[in-house]
Amino acid sequence: MIYFDNAATTKPSLDAIEQAKNFYNEFYFNPSALYRDGLNVSKYLKSAKDTILNVLGARQHDVIFTSCGSESNNTAIFGAVKRGVFVTDKGEHASVNSCFLEKKNNGEKVEFIDLLPDGSVDVNKLYDYAKNNRIDFVSLIHVNNETGAINDVNKISEHLKKLNSKILIHVDGVQAFGKIAFSLSDSIDYYSISAHKINGLKGVGALIKRKNSKLSPLILGGGQENGLRSGTENVFGIKVFDLVTKEHYYNIKNNFEYVQTLNNTVRNGLDKELFNIISSDNCSPYILSISAVGLRGEVIMHSLEEKGILVGNGSACSSKNRFSRVIEACGYDNNVLDGVIRISFSQDNTAQEAEYLINSLNEIARKLKGIMTK
Amino acid sequence: MKNAIILRYCEIHLKGKNRGYFEKLLKENVKKSLRGINHTFNVMHSRYLIEDFEDSDYSLITSKIEKIAGIHTYSRCYVVDNVLEEIVKACIVLCSDKIGTFKVETNRADKTFEPNSVQTSAYIGGRLLESNQSLSVDVRNPDFTVYVDIREDGKTFVYTELIHTLSGMPVGSAGKGLLLISGGIDSPVAGYLTAKRGMKLDCLHFHSFPYTGEAAKEKVIELTKMVGEYNGGINLYVVSFTQIQEAIHENCPEEFMITLMRRFMMRIAERLSKKIGSQAIITGESLGQVASQTIESITSSNSVVTMPVLRPLIMFDKNDIIDISRKISTYETSILPYEDCCTVFLPKFPAIKPNLEKVIKAEQKLDVEELIEQAMQNIEKIEL
Repeated sequence: MIYFDNAATTKPSLDAIEQAKNFYNEFYFNPSALYRDGLNVSKYLKSAKDTILNVLGARQHDVIFTSCGSESNNTAIFGAVKRGVFVTDKGEHASVNSCFLEKKNNGEKVEFIDLLPDGSVDVNKLYDYAKNNRIDFVSLIHVNNETGAINDVNKISEHLKKLNSKILIHVDGVQAFGKIAFSLSDSIDYYSISAHKINGLKGVGALIKRKNSKLSPLILGGGQENGLRSGTENVFGIKVFDLVTKEHYYNIKNNFEYVQTLNNTVRNGLDKELFNIISSDNCSPYILSISAVGLRGEVIMHSLEEKGILVGNGSACSSKNRFSRVIEACGYDNNVLDGVIRISFSQDNTAQEAEYLINSLNEIARKLKGIMTK
Repeated sequence: MKNAIILRYCEIHLKGKNRGYFEKLLKENVKKSLRGINHTFNVMHSRYLIEDFEDSDYSLITSKIEKIAGIHTYSRCYVVDNVLEEIVKACIVLCSDKIGTFKVETNRADKTFEPNSVQTSAYIGGRLLESNQSLSVDVRNPDFTVYVDIREDGKTFVYTELIHTLSGMPVGSAGKGLLLISGGIDSPVAGYLTAKRGMKLDCLHFHSFPYTGEAAKEKVIELTKMVGEYNGGINLYVVSFTQIQEAIHENCPEEFMITLMRRFMMRIAERLSKKIGSQAIITGESLGQVASQTIESITSSNSVVTMPVLRPLIMFDKNDIIDISRKISTYETSILPYEDCCTVFLPKFPAIKPNLEKVIKAEQKLDVEELIEQAMQNIEKIEL
């Protein structure tokens, strides 16, 4: 099976799991326990947090371990500011978008800023809004999970803070962490990450929080994670996360360049009469969103599946939620929206796989086009 | 004093010399359904008795019983020896947490038991009033009735509730049928109604990968399993329909797409039926619900087969179908958003009243025999 759906999840690192297994055999104690063995686990968790802070060059931040990126996003959005004006953009992951809709339903003032065609936030509109309105909280995505568009979140947050230093800023960094070299600016108050997008395990994420930025917990209980996220920590999953984080940051530049060549190969190899490329050249190389105009994305996805290739779909045959909300917000018409598929790469994909993907995509789209336009 | 469940059947009473056959079939169906659960099963006159089960299995057993066609009612009861004092004790335990008005109804199959039925009821009633201050007697309109059934074999059953279940006829008593199952609301309901009348079902689904995905197929498997619970297990046959859809799409007028698809489905269903011994084709069609279910469309699809096509829902309103679908818990699965036929093949303006001559003419552009033969060669059988 050839896997090109790495933005959905990645294959877990067996090497990291093996190491974590040996570690966990010894460090299985409850990190909140007061005896030495418990303290040792607690100390280890501290070092795992340092790993994350170090790779992001973050000096003013703490790490709160959570169960996933969605929980991190929810914690930031519901835990930072209770009432006020909340601003985000139309390209957010569902776990941010749904929280904002919930805020709106609860009577809060919520603003969704438009996107540019590649899926990045229209910063001019964002700044205009910030100049003319009071804002309490902003949430932006670092790398758009559907198009790969990169928002310059450091620059944007610094600019917003200049306009109003009291704005609290959250960034969903799930598709960026471990993939895009980046130093976390002190202007960013909260930054969400997830382990399983970088060969870690599902069920582990983190919210990186600026030390002085306020936050109320969503989950109450034993007061773990400085009282900000109760529940015994997933030590095994965190150990794997720790190991794959080190691995990814050690290779971050090489991986980026390598994946960029794969991305370029596919980009250039696709028959331009059949496919529209939605992701711009400046997008994260890890994500390539394309559309087989006039065809159905889901049908192409299943046809690829038949050939042993897995990709993500941006449109579904189902009548409900047929189109991707995010790609729609990029301004495309139904013909393009219908045919959207998402190819997402990892450092483990090979050039041969990319070639096979190109040939299969061109062949399938050609055949379907023949059937559909009899 | 032992816990037991009495099962009663209804329509089988009406059977004459065949009664034994129906009783035996129902007994086998109950036994099959309770396989794997610790219990003993006894046949009594016009009823069955389930005993010696763990208390914790009671809900599991009744959930199974409620899906066996042919059972009319069941009661949880206590079984004691035909000794008045023991019967009284059982009644007292049975009513210990009850409040309101009651009456006692005694039935003595064992006529040697004394005192007589009226006296027994009166005596038990008196003892119940003494034991539970929250009770009072109302023989005309009681909140509940304590039934005391004194049998000839020395055993007495006491119970307060008759719980109504499916009724219908034992599955297998009305032959075998092949249900065309889609991922929608109607076909599982049609299957349920057919199984309830005693027809043992197999299911046939048309899958059009890659136009629809594995999720659509999984949904059908899930729905088939649910129908299978009323059918004593079930087989699902999956036929790849892709080539046929593509051929129709490429060669025939768009408005006949669905009409022609239905004709292929019926032909394949008949061929498969003959192969597996089915005596009828069952569909979830409801008159006029969609373009393919007008009388003209039904005439067109019906004309390619000779075996009976049963349409249990033909005169049902959609809301009534949905009500049954909710009752048998298929509704939530049916409305999942995975479609069984990709919308890419749906014509914008389907023929609502297809003219049979035109349909036949359109179909002549296809090698019908070859397409059916290919489809028949790739049938996947899933035992559920």
